[in-house]
Amino acid sequence: MSIARTAQLWTLVLVCAVSIAAPGWGAEAKLPWAAAGLTERQAAAHLLDRFAYGPRPGEIDRVVDKGLETWLEEQLQGRVDDSEFLARVAMLDIWSMSSEEILKTFPSPPRVRREAQQAGVLSADAPPPGPPPEGQSAPSAERREQSRKLQEFSREKGYRNQRELLGQLMAHKLFQAVYSQRQLEAVLTDFWFNHFNVSMTDNQSRVHLLAYERDAIRPGVLGSFHELLVETAAHPAMLTYLDNAQSTAKEGVRTTAEMKMAELGQPRGNGRRGLGSRPGGMQRPQQNNRPRGLNENFARELMELHTLGVDGGYTQEDVIEVARAFTGWSVLPQGPQGARARQQMERMQAMGMVGFTIRDAFIFRADAHDAEPKKVLGRKLPAGRGIEDGLEVLELLASRPETAGHLSHKLAVRFVSDEPPATLEKRLTEAYLSSGGNISVVLRSLAYAPEFWADDARRQKIKSPFEVAVSAVRALGAEVTDPGDLVEWVSRMGEPLYAYQAPTGYPDRADAWVNTGSLLTRMNFGLNLATGRVLGVEHDLAALNRNREPASLEDALATYAALLMPERDLEATLERLQPMVSDPEALNRLTEAAPDEGADTPAPRRRYGQLRTPQMEADNEMMAEMRAGGPDAQQAQRRMRRRMREMSALEPPSPLENIVGVILGSPEFQRQ
Amino acid sequence: MIDRRAFFKAGGLSLVAVGAGSLSGGPLFLARTALAAAGPTGHQRRKVLVSIFQRGAMDGLMAVPPLEEEKLLKRYRPQLAMAGARSGGENRVLDLGNGFGLHPALGALEPLWKDSRLAIAHQVGSPDATRSHFDAQDYMETGTPGRKGTPSGWLNRVSGLLGHESTPFRSVSMTSALPRSLYGPEQALAISRLEDFKLRLPGADRVAAVAGEGFEALYEEASQELLRETGADTFDAVKVLSDLDLRNYRPAAGVSYPSSPLGTALRQIALLIKSDVGLEVAFTESGGWDTHVQQGTTNGSFNRRARDLADSIAAFWRDLGQHQDEVVLTTMTEFGRTVKQNGSGGTDHGHGSCLFVLGNKVRGGEVHGGIEGLDQDLLYEGRDLPVSVDFRSVFSELAGAHLGVPTGQELFPGWQGSSIPLFQRA
Repeated sequence: MSIARTAQLWTLVLVCAVSIAAPGWGAEAKLPWAAAGLTERQAAAHLLDRFAYGPRPGEIDRVVDKGLETWLEEQLQGRVDDSEFLARVAMLDIWSMSSEEILKTFPSPPRVRREAQQAGVLSADAPPPGPPPEGQSAPSAERREQSRKLQEFSREKGYRNQRELLGQLMAHKLFQAVYSQRQLEAVLTDFWFNHFNVSMTDNQSRVHLLAYERDAIRPGVLGSFHELLVETAAHPAMLTYLDNAQSTAKEGVRTTAEMKMAELGQPRGNGRRGLGSRPGGMQRPQQNNRPRGLNENFARELMELHTLGVDGGYTQEDVIEVARAFTGWSVLPQGPQGARARQQMERMQAMGMVGFTIRDAFIFRADAHDAEPKKVLGRKLPAGRGIEDGLEVLELLASRPETAGHLSHKLAVRFVSDEPPATLEKRLTEAYLSSGGNISVVLRSLAYAPEFWADDARRQKIKSPFEVAVSAVRALGAEVTDPGDLVEWVSRMGEPLYAYQAPTGYPDRADAWVNTGSLLTRMNFGLNLATGRVLGVEHDLAALNRNREPASLEDALATYAALLMPERDLEATLERLQPMVSDPEALNRLTEAAPDEGADTPAPRRRYGQLRTPQMEADNEMMAEMRAGGPDAQQAQRRMRRRMREMSALEPPSPLENIVGVILGSPEFQRQ
Repeated sequence: MIDRRAFFKAGGLSLVAVGAGSLSGGPLFLARTALAAAGPTGHQRRKVLVSIFQRGAMDGLMAVPPLEEEKLLKRYRPQLAMAGARSGGENRVLDLGNGFGLHPALGALEPLWKDSRLAIAHQVGSPDATRSHFDAQDYMETGTPGRKGTPSGWLNRVSGLLGHESTPFRSVSMTSALPRSLYGPEQALAISRLEDFKLRLPGADRVAAVAGEGFEALYEEASQELLRETGADTFDAVKVLSDLDLRNYRPAAGVSYPSSPLGTALRQIALLIKSDVGLEVAFTESGGWDTHVQQGTTNGSFNRRARDLADSIAAFWRDLGQHQDEVVLTTMTEFGRTVKQNGSGGTDHGHGSCLFVLGNKVRGGEVHGGIEGLDQDLLYEGRDLPVSVDFRSVFSELAGAHLGVPTGQELFPGWQGSSIPLFQRA
């Protein structure tokens, strides 16, 4: 039984009381775009900009044909055939692995190393992974030998590189945003992941990220907020990232296990930290040889970021009480030690002992849970309970008006404008409270609000780097064969995917995305994408215009600007670009441009973003060493050579490509 | 208002020959600041703080060992302890003259120490005892130990407290991604190669130039204010850098930087400082300090990292020449390492470490903080160098005494401590 189900049963939740009679919605209700002075096509474009990742070629027509209300309803209910997308991601095999299988298959490099040492494959004082010694360009024979051994050991064990895991996570995100017909689900998966942010820069959380998005976030993005809250709070990704996995009852405080043992007449001490003194269990022994006690990080961010908001009326006392309520919410250790602990836990669970719970890698440890009474936001939590303490706190937080207000504000910022009108936030807050926190009800209310369609809301959002990349690919009707380079561009534009280090998530505001460096990279992205220099993305500009050749460059400019930014007022853009297509000197340079002598060759790129933690660097280096001399290394080299060849064989861009590049890098295209 | 386009068409920027100070007719973002108003001679240059994060946790006891504890060190870490300065033999540490030694790979720093420009703070660290790299770096970069949700980094807050208008090059991180230290509302540029700061189209840079004119025309008239203003700054910044002729830039005569990532980063930071483009907060990093295995003495992984660090810093300092007065450089690392060596010739995650601060006004030639001793009962949890200097008391001194920003709660929320006097007071 899932944690959320448990929670629902336990609290007889409010969520079943979802009202579908949200204001303004019914078979005959119309989205209020006409009152804002829009045409139906303009309205469809606006809807596709906010409830989707921008229009694909011909999509505005399709939405208008279907009817805007019907399109929206399909999106809100997630009932759209998605076979094209599913076919594309079928090759991402990790997505069909169970979370347990993932943990088994992707051990961290230090763990592989330790295991290899324990198995005697590697000597205990083998030189550490790292760059070759000064003055040497290649790793020494000893290191190569070590890498070979490690690689062989990994292969025998069936281990794979964590970079593959992250690569598939990012590839899936990109494919989903570009190709999924359930566009709102894609938009919301991004939104809620960012709301409940976990970062791959944390080397403990990294291995859990794919399962976190797949199991804890994505299934619930249109459902009950309370359920999302429970799923994220109980997920190993969050438990490690915000340290709750290591939060235990303070020394000297009675644990639930001790209390139950006492009831059964067992001496005190038997029920204390029965799984050894290493909650979390994933760190080096020497780092964790003392009891940890209470850790407040999760409790604080749960209230400040996930639910009530920074001014949500809680005190430092509440933070401590909430932290106490979540003591014992932890993660099963990985490896052989974890297997032993699992057996032990399952035995206890089967015996109905002292409230131990286990689901996948989530464990509730009654031997670490503070059993004394608590008081959270005025609500009393009686003594002697276990996992129910945390579950009750989540139910309480999800139902608070402060939470409704905080979430309404964030949704309004995401979907409407950086400074959303108070009237809108109030409307959303009411929808949240009357529906028991149902996300699709809140979003329906948002779409039917006049504020969503108002003049000061349209084109007011600056696209995030991810939105720029995805909307450009969609606008071009491009084919993504390998998302690696595209992901890299998103990173360079300032949004390294899954790598925002702080639990706040990326700030969703224009001024956080727009600075000189990122703006320049946006222009470069437009140019490079249009001229076929983003590897793994193919497009056909002629086909985009149904193979009708524009009569002149001026004609091309007007035609393609309208194709790529449909239903926008493009007068100013076209006027400013006139010199480019009519000034003979500029034309000359455009049309006669041959490849430059000694032009910059692109620097070799690392795929999937630049990772900065020392651990990750060490991991990467080790993995690089593990590959040295092996078949993977040869493959990587071949791939690099192929990329370099592709780059050098590039045709000089055509004037049309150049124009399209400028359109994609234009200020107008940055807006939605 | 100046017609920007006409100005640039009329021949671009006249200024910014490296090291020359003429700023009349310069880019608008410079003209906006008081920097420009002061004119070519005798204007007060802005101070610059350069931070190097040594990721992985540097062993402070190996970098700057207490010489009087040689015997104890030999017992704790037989494979890692080095002979004192006065003993014979090759495997010796340098003598700093006040009871401390300096690892020989850091030898390039010794002249700066003797010159009283280099200070050391020892037993520096965080009050939060976490031994996780991720957590400890996060806490050091936000400046809020124990709190993960702090949205901004301490260097971003420093930028915000400088009290004058920002420029595109005010806060620069020579890294590919923005470090946590610079998260926050103030603009900050993360870039690993300055040469990349231009319109680039592999194999067709001339075409990119045509597109660039198109972009400039568009952004000049963008109806959205933020896009318009940032666009203007962007094109200004591109022109500034292109006029610097980065590819042919050479450091000062006789200066040679290591070809490592750190050397390259510091070389570019020096270039920005000498070109007077408004840099005030610079950040970069040095990796590989997590020496669990075969740390070595004069031939292991520590030695390699230390040599790169010291050689890069020494080259940077010489390269700065007359600009040294404007600059303070500091190192930092998330925690120290165990006093005892582990089973694989390395050290594990510890608590206190040391850091270096370099500048002409620094109370150099001194070890601030210091080490009481290495007897077991003086160690943190019986195993680590303790923390006697909160890292924030160093950071707030750098921010306050060097950059002149207020160092209260706005800089380090929730912290009640005070700065340690690393700088000479007039």
